[in-house]
Amino acid sequence: MLSLTLKDITVSYSGLVAPVLSVPRLQVDAGESIAVTGASGSGKSTFVNLISGLEPVRTGQVEWSGTDLVRLAEHRRDRWRGEHVGLVMQDFHLFPGLSALDNVLLPARLAAQASAAVKRRARDLLAEMGLDRPGQAVETMSRGEMQRVAIARALVRAPGVVIADEPTASLDRESGQVIADVLICLAGAAGATLIVVSHDPGLIARLPRRITLESGQIAHDSRAVTP
Amino acid sequence: MIGFILADIRRHKAGTIAILLLVAFAVALAVSVTLQERALRLGSARAANAFDLVIGAAGSETQLVLSSVFLQAAPLPLMDGAVLQRLAADPRVAFAAPIGFGDSFSGYPLVGTSTALVAHLSPQLQDGASFRQEGDAVIGSAVDLTLGAVIKPMHGTAEEGGHTHTGLAYAVVGRMKPTGTPWDRAILVPIQAVWELHGMGHTETDHSEPAHAEGDQEHSADATAAVDEDWAEHAAGLPAVLVKPKTISDAYKLRQDYRRDTTLAVFPGEVLTRLYATLGDAKVLLLAVAVGTQILIAAALLLVTIMHVGQRRRQIGALRAFGAPRTVVFRIVWLQLFAISLAGILLGFGLGYLVSEIIGGIVSRQNGFTMPVAFDRQDIAFAASVTAFVAVLAIVPAVLAYRQSPAAALKG
Repeated sequence: MLSLTLKDITVSYSGLVAPVLSVPRLQVDAGESIAVTGASGSGKSTFVNLISGLEPVRTGQVEWSGTDLVRLAEHRRDRWRGEHVGLVMQDFHLFPGLSALDNVLLPARLAAQASAAVKRRARDLLAEMGLDRPGQAVETMSRGEMQRVAIARALVRAPGVVIADEPTASLDRESGQVIADVLICLAGAAGATLIVVSHDPGLIARLPRRITLESGQIAHDSRAVTP
Repeated sequence: MIGFILADIRRHKAGTIAILLLVAFAVALAVSVTLQERALRLGSARAANAFDLVIGAAGSETQLVLSSVFLQAAPLPLMDGAVLQRLAADPRVAFAAPIGFGDSFSGYPLVGTSTALVAHLSPQLQDGASFRQEGDAVIGSAVDLTLGAVIKPMHGTAEEGGHTHTGLAYAVVGRMKPTGTPWDRAILVPIQAVWELHGMGHTETDHSEPAHAEGDQEHSADATAAVDEDWAEHAAGLPAVLVKPKTISDAYKLRQDYRRDTTLAVFPGEVLTRLYATLGDAKVLLLAVAVGTQILIAAALLLVTIMHVGQRRRQIGALRAFGAPRTVVFRIVWLQLFAISLAGILLGFGLGYLVSEIIGGIVSRQNGFTMPVAFDRQDIAFAASVTAFVAVLAIVPAVLAYRQSPAAALKG
């Protein structure tokens, strides 16, 4: 599990007067589970891109247990992300034509890390999520099943942090609840720090710490008000 | 990575097939032009091999070779029979065979000649024997007749409105072995019979024009008369004489001696070399068209693949987001396009070869001479250069994919 320290972060785009994200300081402890909420345009996506290393930052500090992403070159950020971050996204981003198992294993295979242990873990994760046909083509699955495959993919390399961006937004309520259960349970079991960006009140309520973004700034942090 | 590429290819079957066919057709066009030109060059050179020196009446060298070596029907002026007599008596000549054409049967050219030419073209016959009587005929290996078949010669061809000679019917007595030349489709008959049928026989010596040119009077020949090849006794007008000189030096001297006002002596190989130069120009033109097509197809290919990369932005973004290094994304995009193009190149070579074989077969059936369709080192160099070209071309979309920001790509 990894801890996160953000310091003096400012993300601006040309043509915009105010920065899209401005975080003077934020600390997330290792193993913590937090929800990040906020209206559209509040900076949630930029926050996800920033902490996952998808978007480069020139100033400040984005440090994960001693590794400052600001100082890493793009290819090293890619490698770090592959090794330490499990990403779950609203649109699943599964690859049609590949089976559920192949989708789960794809990132590991592309990084030449698909060892026998990883393959075993991929099968176990799918089984734990109730997906008993690992060879099933993902395009034949329901949306809830697809998101479970995406969660298994995020967890297969036992990442130190799981970042989920609106994981239940494209699902019906029932499927959303199942996905929330699976995500929180498995991330906890894996000992991963969990950061969930969501509008889903049910999911937000289940996470012990909640951060609200407004106009690119942290407007509310439940830990800060509850010492 | 391979599994991912294969899945992607399966998912975009139509697009993949379109790219593959584009490449295949472009390559096949260039390959077939090259193979055809080479086959024609080789085939015609082989066909001319048996003909050292051809002597005819003054006129077009090319037409003389096309008519005598390739048996292309065309009215040639006749030489005086005395030319054959002089050549037959010349000590520098191993043999001189008259060649008289103008008649046909069932689309096959009938050639009046001597047993010496039959023996020269096919030292051993496949079936039967050479002609002994004026009514005998020896057929080429590709003539669809059997021994004993009766041949009623037609003056000219059916297409030209020719009429059938009633004065003589030949009987097939022998079949030559395949020579790979247009003579495989020829029917060889004694020249005396041709002369007599055209009113230029023993009783009417020294005609220099066939009787048909003067009117429609029919002449006849005695089918049972023995073949007489003593040209000193009698030789009528004829369009060409094939000469086999004893030495190379004799060949050059003979050519010089017979390049005069009334006669023309040519080495078919020499005439073909000039024709090849013309063919070469045509090949350059055709290859330029093929290269132009390839450039257009390459541009289309580039456009299609760049659009494809655009459509795959989210997929590429996702790959990067899940930790795939940029180099892996580059390799996936490059390898996919390269593999499809390589398959297209291989298919193109196969198609080009197939088309050349089909055209070669048609030419063979129509003209008799074999078109040897074969690849050589030049084609390997072409394959290597096309492969290198697509390898470079595939870098463009791969670089575009490589440079995409994963965050921007995920937004779509």
